[in-house]
Amino acid sequence: MTTRGRPSPIAWLLAPAALLFVLFFVLPFGVMAAMSVFSGNPVNNPNAFLTTRHYERFVFDTAGIYHDALWATLRIGLITTIISLLIGYPLAHWMARMQSRLGHALVLMAVIAPMLTGIVVRTFAWMTILQDKGVINTLLIQWGLTDKPLPLMYNEFGTIVALVHIYVPFMVLTLTGVIGRIDERLEQAARSLGAGRLRAFVEVTLPLSLPGILAGSLLVFALSISAYVTPSLMGGTDVLTLPMLIAQQVGTSFNPNFAGALGVILLLVSLAIVIAYNRILARLSGEQGLA
Amino acid sequence: MKAVLNKRPFDAGHAAYVTLNGLLLVFLLAPIAIVLVFALNPMPYISFPPVGVSLRWFEKFFASAEFMNALWLSLWIAGCVLVLSILIGGGCALALARGSLPGRPFLTAFFMSPLMLPAILTGLALFQAYLLAGIGRPVWGLILAHTLVAVPYVIRTTLAVLHNFDRRIEEAAAVLGASPVRVFFEVTLPLIRPGVFAGGVFAFIVSFDQFPVSLFLVVPKGETLPVVLFNYMKFDLDGAIAAASMVSILLALSVVLVLERLIGLKAYVKL
Repeated sequence: MTTRGRPSPIAWLLAPAALLFVLFFVLPFGVMAAMSVFSGNPVNNPNAFLTTRHYERFVFDTAGIYHDALWATLRIGLITTIISLLIGYPLAHWMARMQSRLGHALVLMAVIAPMLTGIVVRTFAWMTILQDKGVINTLLIQWGLTDKPLPLMYNEFGTIVALVHIYVPFMVLTLTGVIGRIDERLEQAARSLGAGRLRAFVEVTLPLSLPGILAGSLLVFALSISAYVTPSLMGGTDVLTLPMLIAQQVGTSFNPNFAGALGVILLLVSLAIVIAYNRILARLSGEQGLA
Repeated sequence: MKAVLNKRPFDAGHAAYVTLNGLLLVFLLAPIAIVLVFALNPMPYISFPPVGVSLRWFEKFFASAEFMNALWLSLWIAGCVLVLSILIGGGCALALARGSLPGRPFLTAFFMSPLMLPAILTGLALFQAYLLAGIGRPVWGLILAHTLVAVPYVIRTTLAVLHNFDRRIEEAAAVLGASPVRVFFEVTLPLIRPGVFAGGVFAFIVSFDQFPVSLFLVVPKGETLPVVLFNYMKFDLDGAIAAASMVSILLALSVVLVLERLIGLKAYVKL
């Protein structure tokens, strides 16, 4: 056992990964940050100069859309997170407390199966459900509950519904681990001392699962503020988020420098969340952190 | 004791709890089931309820050169990513677990970080880097980009296996006179193989379904299946998309079964 000695020869196996990560991860993010402070492409344009104008463009927002986009991104992320928590908690609790191994495996499969289905495919599924001629509107009209289709899609509502569906498995998996580690006997003790089931849950299990709630929420928030496919297909012209703005700058405006500045802004928001998430997980599981 | 428990009167609270969770499972799974309904529905546009069963959308999907080119490109890229991420991620996990490296928690978090940062930013950063390097948008660039976001999955599953197996097996082999190289090839490698392979299958799916990383890195006429589907869906919403979705869902499902076979799903619960 050489936990504290010199690295063993097996450490060399890290080299290919280190090379890949330096060349295709660290360096590109450095390039993105550099591009965001240049007026053009510094390699092939000799007139490109250092500038803060891309950040100024965002901060002063004379066009009046960037702050709205940032706010919409955060708002959609927050609502998605809260709903995912409300939906994910009961499922996670059920799974963590399930006695039958088969039942546990089946629910786990049901939670993981959507994760293995691509984002584009799942967004398509929600389009078929929520569009004007979709499943819900057809049924509502058939049953005479409404005359004309409800606007369920091409707005923030549809975007959030699909985002919740896509990211709720992450919430469930994070919470299941934490709830599973809470000793069930604590709740039983509270109940044998006269607390009702609800009170035992609210006063014992819920507070003990708080770190899981926080970690799961941060994860879902980080994922949903960086979503691109779902808001651009489900949001129609109603929704403009930061990732959509970035794609616009690259695709239609071809302004990679401004896209870089927007990228840095989104990166900073995400990094803050990721660091908080890691702190919580590290406190939960000792030194292991993300692994 | 058990008999007493079983004789409990009807418990409304518990019934509500189970019903609620049943409904939540329906919410998770119904959308995927609905895609199958539309893939088999012969109507020219997405409409409900279905009027019959036909394979015309699957025919359209498999007959379309655009979809087929994209499907083969995606499969080819995912295959390369599978091999690369097994080699790179498996080695990295071994080094992390057995290399006595200083700063191990930091290194582990670093190699996991592509999962935590917005994938669309990884795509944007690589797009900028390729632009600055003036190399265009080659397929190998896309493959390596996918490998970057797939490697963490292999590291995670391999670390999980390495974490679980008894180190004394390796030590016993060494005590019995096996050289470190022989211990590695005859003991360690066979033991971690299920974890590495399971991670590789996961890497395949991550690449095959990858959208945000691909978005800025594909060239016109050289788009992967998710990008082609996305572009198609912006203008048209017909059964061909449903059929294409079904094909990728079936691929993913068979992968889940393979995973379950290989190491069980437990390894993925640890996020």
